[in-house]
Amino acid sequence: MTQKEIDWGRLDEIIKRHRDENWALIPLLQDIQEEFGYLPPEFIEPVAEALKLFPSEVQGVITFYAGFSLEPKGRNVIKSCRGTACHVKGSRSILRFIKKELNLEEGETSPDYQFTLETVACLGACFLAPAMMVNRTYFGKLSPPKVKSILAQYSRPKTGESEIK
Amino acid sequence: MDEINLTINGKKIVCRAGTTVFNAAKENDIRIPSLCHHPHLEPIGACRLCLVEDENGRILASCVTPVSENLSVQTDSPNVRAHRKNIIRLLMANHPESCIVCNKGNRCELRKIASQLGVGTYDLYPMPHYTGFEEANPFIIRDLSKCILCGKCIRADHELVGVGAIDYNQRGFRSRPATVHDRPLEQSSCTFCGSCISICPTGALAVKNVSFAGSPQKEMASICGFCGVGCSLVMGIQDNRIVDVNPSPVENSINQSTLCVRGHFAHDFLSSSQRLTTPLLRKNGELSPATWEEAFAVVTDKLFSIKKKNGPQSIAFFGSSKCSLEENYLFQKIARVILQTNHIDNGGFLTGRSVLNRFQSRLGGMSIGPLKDLEKAEVVLVLGADPTHSLPVLGYHLKRVSKIKGVPIIVADPRRTDLIPFASLWMPLATQTDYYLINGLAALLYHRKAYDAQFVKRFTQGSDEYFKELSAMNLDQISRVTEIEPEGLEKAADLLAGKKIVFVVGHGILQQRNGLEVIDALLNLALMTGSLGQRGTGFYFLTMENNALGAWDMGAVPDFLPGRQSLVDNEIRKYWDRAWKIKISPDPGLNIIKMIEAAEEGNLKAMYIMGENPLRSLPQPGQIRKAFDNLEFLVVQDILDSETVRMADVVLPGAAFSEKAGSFTNLEGRIQSFDPVVSPPGQAKPDWEILSFLGNQMGLPAQYRTIEKIRDEIRELAPLYSQWGKNGNSSWIKEKSDLALFHPDESGESALFSPLVPLKENIRDEDFPFKAILGSWRYHLGSGTRTGSSNRINQMPLSGEIEVSIKDGERLHLLDGDKIRLSSSYGSIERKVKVVRNQKPGLIFVPRAFYENDARNLLPLTTLEAPNSPGFKEINVKIEKT
Repeated sequence: MTQKEIDWGRLDEIIKRHRDENWALIPLLQDIQEEFGYLPPEFIEPVAEALKLFPSEVQGVITFYAGFSLEPKGRNVIKSCRGTACHVKGSRSILRFIKKELNLEEGETSPDYQFTLETVACLGACFLAPAMMVNRTYFGKLSPPKVKSILAQYSRPKTGESEIK
Repeated sequence: MDEINLTINGKKIVCRAGTTVFNAAKENDIRIPSLCHHPHLEPIGACRLCLVEDENGRILASCVTPVSENLSVQTDSPNVRAHRKNIIRLLMANHPESCIVCNKGNRCELRKIASQLGVGTYDLYPMPHYTGFEEANPFIIRDLSKCILCGKCIRADHELVGVGAIDYNQRGFRSRPATVHDRPLEQSSCTFCGSCISICPTGALAVKNVSFAGSPQKEMASICGFCGVGCSLVMGIQDNRIVDVNPSPVENSINQSTLCVRGHFAHDFLSSSQRLTTPLLRKNGELSPATWEEAFAVVTDKLFSIKKKNGPQSIAFFGSSKCSLEENYLFQKIARVILQTNHIDNGGFLTGRSVLNRFQSRLGGMSIGPLKDLEKAEVVLVLGADPTHSLPVLGYHLKRVSKIKGVPIIVADPRRTDLIPFASLWMPLATQTDYYLINGLAALLYHRKAYDAQFVKRFTQGSDEYFKELSAMNLDQISRVTEIEPEGLEKAADLLAGKKIVFVVGHGILQQRNGLEVIDALLNLALMTGSLGQRGTGFYFLTMENNALGAWDMGAVPDFLPGRQSLVDNEIRKYWDRAWKIKISPDPGLNIIKMIEAAEEGNLKAMYIMGENPLRSLPQPGQIRKAFDNLEFLVVQDILDSETVRMADVVLPGAAFSEKAGSFTNLEGRIQSFDPVVSPPGQAKPDWEILSFLGNQMGLPAQYRTIEKIRDEIRELAPLYSQWGKNGNSSWIKEKSDLALFHPDESGESALFSPLVPLKENIRDEDFPFKAILGSWRYHLGSGTRTGSSNRINQMPLSGEIEVSIKDGERLHLLDGDKIRLSSSYGSIERKVKVVRNQKPGLIFVPRAFYENDARNLLPLTTLEAPNSPGFKEINVKIEKT
């Protein structure tokens, strides 16, 4: 699967929604990321121009927040928890297992854009330790077999779901 | 004003509410160390070195802590010192140990504070953060391993310069100042003003291509000799060489910790191999070295014999808008008193003096104020000006008033300049239609009754006639001619309605074919809106050269005597007759264009050129060459070998501004004096000394052994300069106008509206369908004689591409980098082309100064007043692919 052509029309629409707001930058970037799955670096200049900011300022905000990404992410973003509680409950081996299963290192995206593997400091679900998140769904009390079945669940596109946005 | 009482180190202090603890301490001579604080920047509290301790033992960063009543702090308690030491230790653990070879040398603030705190070894695990950079630019080295993240470069870039090329990228340990997409500087929007280098507390940012590394032996103040802004500089000197240039730290300088690429980096032209170091005489057709005595003797003999044989009208003097006030004064005095000729001009002619003349004659004074007053403006109208390229520091002022003070800026310019992102409104008008645009705006304001009727009634005459003409104006037609949609005009009128306006007028007007008419229209608009006579109103003109105004003020022009006094006024002439004990001819002399014509016709026999290179700056060099060939005798006094120098019979090597004492008048009317920083190269002499010696030898009664004597004479004789030197280094010209609007007691004459006039028919030519605008590019000044001798500027890979619109590019199948020939009916040039967005179809931009300023070949050698003159700004051209 190759990266999709960038749809500038959709960007213009999002910009139009936000351009007259105060403090519009972060909501605007969130909307773009929601729409495109990531923030294409080519968008920095048009966003800056629309909000009368310097492009370097826009980039500074994007790279400051871990939640924004300038690189395309996989359709499924796995966030493996590396907090203390999960650590005690063996999250290190869980992470090692995910890495092996997906053949990905931390921060990497699979060449078919199916998975992105990330680690987070704490998911705030210590009672479920060891825990991880896939997209917006929490999975807790993980064990290698459980991880395996979760990953299998996300490996194929679900029927009825559209292509990667 | 509210006052706050606080205690610092046990000392009771009263300070202004709203200030910070850091500033309150500074005002009371209590020094608190800091790496990220700068008086011209907003505080951000990044470095935490300015910590102070309050009574409860709380630690506060004083630069971001506002003063509060009864606050009591210690700035140097053991606790505070311990914290500071730890911060320095952490910074040092993250810093490479390269102090021995670091270019920042003794000026490194990190090293200074570390030694003050006695931190020698940091006893921490070293955590150097190495980031290498491949950069091709010839100006700036970024070694971000030395970066301490104080954010000064970023803040200077955003708050002072308004370019925004860099900002923090990433966060935490990986955080660094970076360009967009982390590209090298030359691929970013960086303009290489170098302000970041001067403000960087460590060696993270440094000047590239230096002839000397480390701290220079001494630093001396000077004034930049490039453009009309006149920035205050500090020059670092090592062994009589200038090795370093930085903005001066003095308060109230016009440039406030900023410079532009020319001011910061192009001063290496001063040690160029092209410098003239010895007088030259033409012997057997060749220029060969001579002594000063020989050269002076030849100049004196030849000028006198030509005067005797052909009369005083056969000799002309071309002074310099780059030389000092004192020099231009002596120069024209030699011309007028000894050789009795009024044929005097200077290089400022080309950059719009006739238009400024019109302004002067209608107002009785230019009445300019400090650039700082832009902050007080209600609205700024920028016409035909791209200061971000021509006078960058003026551009910074405009960006600041827009971004920080929120003053609305309207830009009327056919091209999308770098100022547009800061403007509230851009009017991309058709070229040379400013006259209609301004009258259209006036008509709209009149219809809406949104002008200053009181002002008009009190101070002006002729408004009835003017308003009648405005009310009859057809706005649809204006919209058609100017190519500005009616909504655009209405929007501009919304911004201008009921406001007092500041006009920033550039070479798009000053060199325009209709320049005189545009000035009349602008003055009408200014009178109607009451935009004159108060701070935060009025006009700023972009004067290209450092002393363009001063050369005029000193009478280095055909029709004015020193002090901007009209030569044709009998009373004034009598005054100067008495002062100089001569009889001045009442006939104005020839301007430079007429001088060339007179030389072509054989009526001019001798010319003395000081500090100008007409073969590079004036149109049609072939014609000028022929004219100079016709001369019997040509003296050129200059600092650099040039085309003009090579045609001279006598060459006198002068001194650059950094090698002599002198004074310049900048575009604000601020007179700035300076002292020599180094001595001139070889046998070269300060120009005022050359002129003083020559004047003496030719029989000038007064002797000028010191420069102060020349200044005294100017002060005494020219009322405009009576205040000169009264207020330290920086004083102001004192303008006098008869108009009531400039007098607080409202005594004096009414200002007159000028009637609307039909403009010269727009020249259309089927053979030359495009309109080419000639303009400046920030790396070069004027025609580029000096900046073209700067090694750094020459190393920058610039090719001065001709800019065409996307539509024209498609139509003519042009791609970036293609070579094209651009021809007007006067000449042609060949260059590479660049297709740019946001350019109007049919419009072409040609940067001046490149390739020996070849762009001048496109223009004819005429004055603005000549009936078919296209002006010096725009010309009809055609494009051919080569």
